Amino acid sequence: MTDVSDTPDLSGDRGFQNVREGFYKATFFAFAAATVLTTVGIFLVLFVDAIGFFAAYSPIDFLTGFDWSPSLEPVSFGVLPLVFGTLVVTFTAAIIAIPVGTLTAVYLSEYAAPRTRAILKPLLEILAGVPTVIYGFFALVYVTPVIEFFFPGVSTFNVLSASLMVGIMTIPMVSSISEDAMSAVPDSLRQAGYGMGATKYEVTTDIIVPAATSGIVSSYILAISRAIGETMIVTVAMGMQSSIPTVQTATVFGIGIPFVHPGEVFLGSGQTMTAAMVQIANSDIAGGTLAYKSLFAIGLTLFAITLLMNVISNIISERYREEY
Amino acid sequence: MAGTNDTGFSGVSRRRGRIFAGLAKAASWLGVVVLAWLLLMVVIDAFGLGAASTGWYLGGLVGFGVPFVGYAGYLVLRRPDLRWTAVRATVIPPAGLIFAGALFVLFLVFEPFFWFLYYSVAILPAVAVYGHFASREDTRAPLIAGAVGLLGAAISFFVEPLIGIMPLPWIMLNWVLVIPAGALIAYRQATGNRGRQATLLGATVAGGVLASFVGPVLIGVTSDTAVILYAAFVLPVAWYNGAVLSKNTGDWPGLLAPVVAIGSIAAGIALGDFIGTAGPDPVLDWQFLTNNASTIPADAGLFPAIVGSVFIIAIVAIVSFVVGVGAAIYLEEYAPQTGLGGTITRFIRVNIANLAGVPSVVYGLLGLGLFVNLIGMGLGIVLVAGLTLSLLILPIVIISAQEAIRSVPEDVRQASYGMGATRWQTIRNVVLPRAVPGVLTGTILALSRAIGETAPLLMIGAATTVFRPPTGFASQVSAMPLQVFYWSFHQKSAFRELIAPAGVVTLLVVMLSMNVLAIYLRNRYERNA
Repeated sequence: MTDVSDTPDLSGDRGFQNVREGFYKATFFAFAAATVLTTVGIFLVLFVDAIGFFAAYSPIDFLTGFDWSPSLEPVSFGVLPLVFGTLVVTFTAAIIAIPVGTLTAVYLSEYAAPRTRAILKPLLEILAGVPTVIYGFFALVYVTPVIEFFFPGVSTFNVLSASLMVGIMTIPMVSSISEDAMSAVPDSLRQAGYGMGATKYEVTTDIIVPAATSGIVSSYILAISRAIGETMIVTVAMGMQSSIPTVQTATVFGIGIPFVHPGEVFLGSGQTMTAAMVQIANSDIAGGTLAYKSLFAIGLTLFAITLLMNVISNIISERYREEY
Repeated sequence: MAGTNDTGFSGVSRRRGRIFAGLAKAASWLGVVVLAWLLLMVVIDAFGLGAASTGWYLGGLVGFGVPFVGYAGYLVLRRPDLRWTAVRATVIPPAGLIFAGALFVLFLVFEPFFWFLYYSVAILPAVAVYGHFASREDTRAPLIAGAVGLLGAAISFFVEPLIGIMPLPWIMLNWVLVIPAGALIAYRQATGNRGRQATLLGATVAGGVLASFVGPVLIGVTSDTAVILYAAFVLPVAWYNGAVLSKNTGDWPGLLAPVVAIGSIAAGIALGDFIGTAGPDPVLDWQFLTNNASTIPADAGLFPAIVGSVFIIAIVAIVSFVVGVGAAIYLEEYAPQTGLGGTITRFIRVNIANLAGVPSVVYGLLGLGLFVNLIGMGLGIVLVAGLTLSLLILPIVIISAQEAIRSVPEDVRQASYGMGATRWQTIRNVVLPRAVPGVLTGTILALSRAIGETAPLLMIGAATTVFRPPTGFASQVSAMPLQVFYWSFHQKSAFRELIAPAGVVTLLVVMLSMNVLAIYLRNRYERNA
């Protein structure tokens, strides 16, 4: 048999082992560095073609133009209708997701029995995990008829159904991060509040929520950034026509008040930046053309906005965190 | 009012608090209720449940409910200890079928001979060498085994085109699949008992040979499909049931769960057809799952998209798991925390957090610019799709793996170092085994996200419909979400209203079962920890 002995090997000959240790460390470092390369790759890919685009098309016209028609002659690459579409979707989604998500977080963290939590949390995870293309299908096929019941003039592809769906989808983003922040508030603060004679409502709204503000706000920013980057819901359910509403004037007591008709904004079709990217990528526009390069210009705009929001969210949650 | 203690305290109004609590509760369920409504609608559409008459439902409910509720009641009231046995017995057969499907696809992509050769010349010798050296506690075991495996792979690579004669497919499949499976069963079920091990191995292999002859006659599949079904479906089911029965602890009623489930569904359908006038008209059936795509709604199928998704997910699983766990190990175990190195580490961490927030459509542009335009891989092929989605979920995998590794207590590491173990030995023997459940949970959740991603695939030019499943890593690919996307846009309303719901339900079932698996793993892990 082998020479397994009880005397330990203390010769200190670790030559082979040192090589092996170094090999593993270098490999794992390479994997970690790959994530940095991904970021660099995103920057380079977006910049190279975006610069090509801006060399041929004035950035001023891009940022201030009111007309987006990349494939119809004469082509025009005004990004404002797309920005408007994105803003409408994001704003509507935030109106749903922020209050509902915050209340959900409060309920999960302060009110729910452990049993309810154990059921509700996985369900919310599933809500967050449903593929967005399926939400888009839901918005188009099931939500739009409901809207049609209330507003018969709604078009099949409409902004409202997509925005509502994006809102529902972002609820778990707000609730999970906010709930983490609220659960992290130490129990001694709650007990102190009760000791002062505060009700549960007062403890929740006057102690827990203020103490968790940094986490709650950063969850809002992340959810908004997610809504801005959301692609498939708006591609499927919103239609593929960029639009910007006309400003009308209502005369009240002889004074002209400009306004935008909400029906025009929500019940017609629209297009976001992300949906425009999908449309270009999916059409037979050849590589190297201006329309193809505009893809990367929008991508860069989108990347810059979401990156900025993520960084702000990180700073808020780092800097304004209450330390206990 | 002398003598009273008037503090001006007139009782606390509970109204505001109650309204707030009620609002919070309602808000928490809002999203879930909306999702439940949408899921109900899509299931009704996918299975054509709207077409069935009330009588059919009444009959179906009675036929299904009576046996099922009776059995469930018995389990809950009399034998609550059997609930996990019942769950496992019910889950293993369908899981085995899914596994068989995956194997079937793998053997479709690469000929059985490919597996046979690499298994015989590379994997088997490597395992044997590893076992030999590891049993002598030689620390060089993995290195030598790796060298042997690489040598074997190189030999196979050069020899493969030269060999003209090969064994019959079912013999090769028995050699590649059934014998290792039998060895595993023998090892796990009869440790130390040589005689019983030999019996188990012999019985397994005999079953495999028998399956390849009986399968074609009995259920009309080819002999190699029969062996795959045997190895992935029959063996696990037989193993689990056999293991429970051989313990002789009276747990057999738990094993009846799948029988009761199938039986009551059959009884429900039979009674429904007997009483009701019209049954449901399901779109989502076997034909839908196995047909190729078609321009005629009635013939439309999801098969190429399913195979495409399997291909893509296979690449994503391997790449994101290896790179993600490696990066997490570096960040948690190796990365310096101070000085210049510490700055780099912090930069990598912040960078990963930001990458997790980049919209998926931007990753699509990265894939398009990097893999297609720069490296020159084809538009919309399997490899590009897999690599792009790997990059997309990498941050999620890394973050969850980091959490799992961080949750391993520091004192076990210190104990390992105190015993003289090196850093890598500590990671491999102490840290990773404890972190594996958490790592797996995070990876599966990330994969379930990858399987539903659509936008990046559209950006890299993947086709929304391909009419044949992919045959290799360089062929054009579609995926389930892309197919759903295509159908929800189709001009023919039949595609939107009938076919798309069936695709949606298929995709949801796949995604939800991955989620359930992850949640199960996590709960099990939390119980043990």
